[in-house]
Amino acid sequence: MSAQLTDTVRVETAASAAPERRLNPFVRAALLVVALLVVLALPWYIYPPVAMDILAWGLFAISVDLLLGFTGLLSFGHAAFWGMSAYTTGYIATQVGVPFPVAILGGTLAAMLIAIPTGYLAVRRTGIYFAMVTLAFAQMLYFIANQASDITGGENGLQGIPKTFFGIELVETDSFYFYYAALPIILLGAFIAWRTVSSPFGRVLLAIRDNPARARALGYDVERYKIMVFVISAGIAGLAGGVFSVSHGFASLQELVWTTSGKVVLMTVLGGIGTLWGGPLGAAVVVLLEDQLASSGFNGIGIITGAIFIIIVLLFRKGIWGTAADFIERIRSGMASRGRGDA
Amino acid sequence: MRHTRMISLAAMVASSGLVLTACGSAGGGPASGGDSKLSDDKVVLGLLNDQSGVYKDLSGPNSKVAIEMAIADYKAKYGDDAVAKNIEIVMADHQNKPDIANTKAQEMYDRDKADIILDVPTSSAALAVATQAKAKKKLHINVGAATTALTGKSCNKYTFHWAYDTYMLANGTGTVLVGEGGKNWSIVYPDYAFGQDMTKSFTAAVEKGGGTVQQSIATPFPNDNFATFITKAESSKPDVIGIMAAGGDLVNFVKQYNQAGLQGKTTLAVGLMFITDIHTLGVEQFAGTTFTDAWYWNMDAESKAWADKFKEKTNTRPSFAHAGNYSAALQYLEAIQEAGTDGSDDVVAKLEGKKVNDVFLRNGEIRAGDHRVLHDAYLVKVKDKANVKEEWDYEEIIKTIPAAEAFNPTVSADCKM
Repeated sequence: MSAQLTDTVRVETAASAAPERRLNPFVRAALLVVALLVVLALPWYIYPPVAMDILAWGLFAISVDLLLGFTGLLSFGHAAFWGMSAYTTGYIATQVGVPFPVAILGGTLAAMLIAIPTGYLAVRRTGIYFAMVTLAFAQMLYFIANQASDITGGENGLQGIPKTFFGIELVETDSFYFYYAALPIILLGAFIAWRTVSSPFGRVLLAIRDNPARARALGYDVERYKIMVFVISAGIAGLAGGVFSVSHGFASLQELVWTTSGKVVLMTVLGGIGTLWGGPLGAAVVVLLEDQLASSGFNGIGIITGAIFIIIVLLFRKGIWGTAADFIERIRSGMASRGRGDA
Repeated sequence: MRHTRMISLAAMVASSGLVLTACGSAGGGPASGGDSKLSDDKVVLGLLNDQSGVYKDLSGPNSKVAIEMAIADYKAKYGDDAVAKNIEIVMADHQNKPDIANTKAQEMYDRDKADIILDVPTSSAALAVATQAKAKKKLHINVGAATTALTGKSCNKYTFHWAYDTYMLANGTGTVLVGEGGKNWSIVYPDYAFGQDMTKSFTAAVEKGGGTVQQSIATPFPNDNFATFITKAESSKPDVIGIMAAGGDLVNFVKQYNQAGLQGKTTLAVGLMFITDIHTLGVEQFAGTTFTDAWYWNMDAESKAWADKFKEKTNTRPSFAHAGNYSAALQYLEAIQEAGTDGSDDVVAKLEGKKVNDVFLRNGEIRAGDHRVLHDAYLVKVKDKANVKEEWDYEEIIKTIPAAEAFNPTVSADCKM
């Protein structure tokens, strides 16, 4: 038993080893305001459906970061929750015709519901085994969705999901206004993630990540905490998946395939693990790259994204956000020491 | 401390400035078209297909060449009388992903001012684009996708299905082979919607002709090892083995089928195959295989002449998807010429019910009820290597299936325009 406990492999040491950065409250508030302004201005600068994609994938990446960065669990099957919610949202929206936030809520609940048994099974393992169990589960869901073509449309996908929104036609037809209608849902998801991380519950998660044996010795039920964060993470992924499917007007098998799980892990690592800010940044980079390269006439998209990923992993182990934060930290401490020298 | 406060203040000011300028710049509405009867004074053709993945060869970047040929032919035909003088092509790679296809289609219609989107292989991507076409009231002529849902449940006023579909593939091969004595069938299919649809259509066609499907065997998708499925399919001593896999799976299946020593013993019928598949694997591997083709470059002098021009530009022979894109672009431009405008509703009105004959469409008719384009299809047999006279000379047409029989004769009840 004890051997098994100490055997827990840390998934990513780069971020876990990073010291807790505690920026002063004013800087943090300013960052938040800047981020909000950027998010509000985004559809003016970027084509609105692409901006919506960035936000949905960004929230999806946050949900992965919650597990990977703050609990030390690498889920390689998060597409299951994203896809489950995408299909459920689509199904509710087409069949019942409720406003899309309600449909997304339904999708999110469905994602959380299936996360309970998955989490229950998966959290008993860590590291690569945890990743494998989640992957296996996601694959299972993929094949079920493929077979149940009466409900899901098979590989044709569930098409024609309406953007019903209290009869406000601008939102229902114009992707620019839809962006602002869906934005609160994304912000809600980000807020939940932030609350989770910066609560006593979040401190326990960090303890579990860094030393599960000690957390257990202190009397915390490690498995239960892991299941809880797993379900919360699935819920956030579900919110993102629901927004994505409504935004595109369909849910397809692409949402459940394992490369989707891989893509969101890539975004998270690219942005920086254990930062929450990193996920959306990574998502922005990947989505914008895909969008630009698709129209560029260059026919080797995989080569570019792959090369960027390799460079990030080799040179910037902490991802974009982690590296940037380190850089600022170094300048600040440099200035601080110089300031002391002058005095 | 004071310093960081200054920095964050500056950042806030800068980003609010950003927001304000954005608000200002977004004010300008779309410019009016002036005297021209064309929206934005030009016709923009969007080409959305797979430029980097498995469908790159059968359509991909060379479809742009085909569309350019259509534009050149249109301009040559009408000269100064051409309604569309300024014609542009925009192209994007959907990577066979429906979400990217969806976003790119919106972008093409909105930002690039595309009047039409052409090609779009991969069923889920095609359906996503059809949905956008309906929402934006702009045209989509699909060439590359096989699903009958485009003219069924997902049919709409602005979407046309130009080249082929699962019904045509199954009906042609199934009916004709049964008529020639291939009464007993085993069907091997990949277990997803395309494979299931094809199996259903094939079974219906075989039974209509008086044959029987003894067994239909589902395989995982994708799959590498077909040995057990081949043994099982052969166990009932069928006259014909039908394989519904496409692309890489088809190539694997055929290799293993030949290795099992079955080539030439039992007739092999392929559900969907492109000439590029034969070229990739080598004609000797496919020799004797029967399938339905929408068009073949060497079927007559007219096609050959077009294929020669295509070869000059691309150094390769066209697949039916290339010819289909040429035809779709050409007929779209002809419809603009007739209507005198590129307004979607006017162009659709000109296209609906139109009878067409061009390089690709023979005895073609654009059915008004569901926008299925009916045209002659061809049952072909892959030649033995000894009979291949030049590169790409792979197919022998054994029967021309008339347009009226090639496609589903009735409009699907699911289709509500």
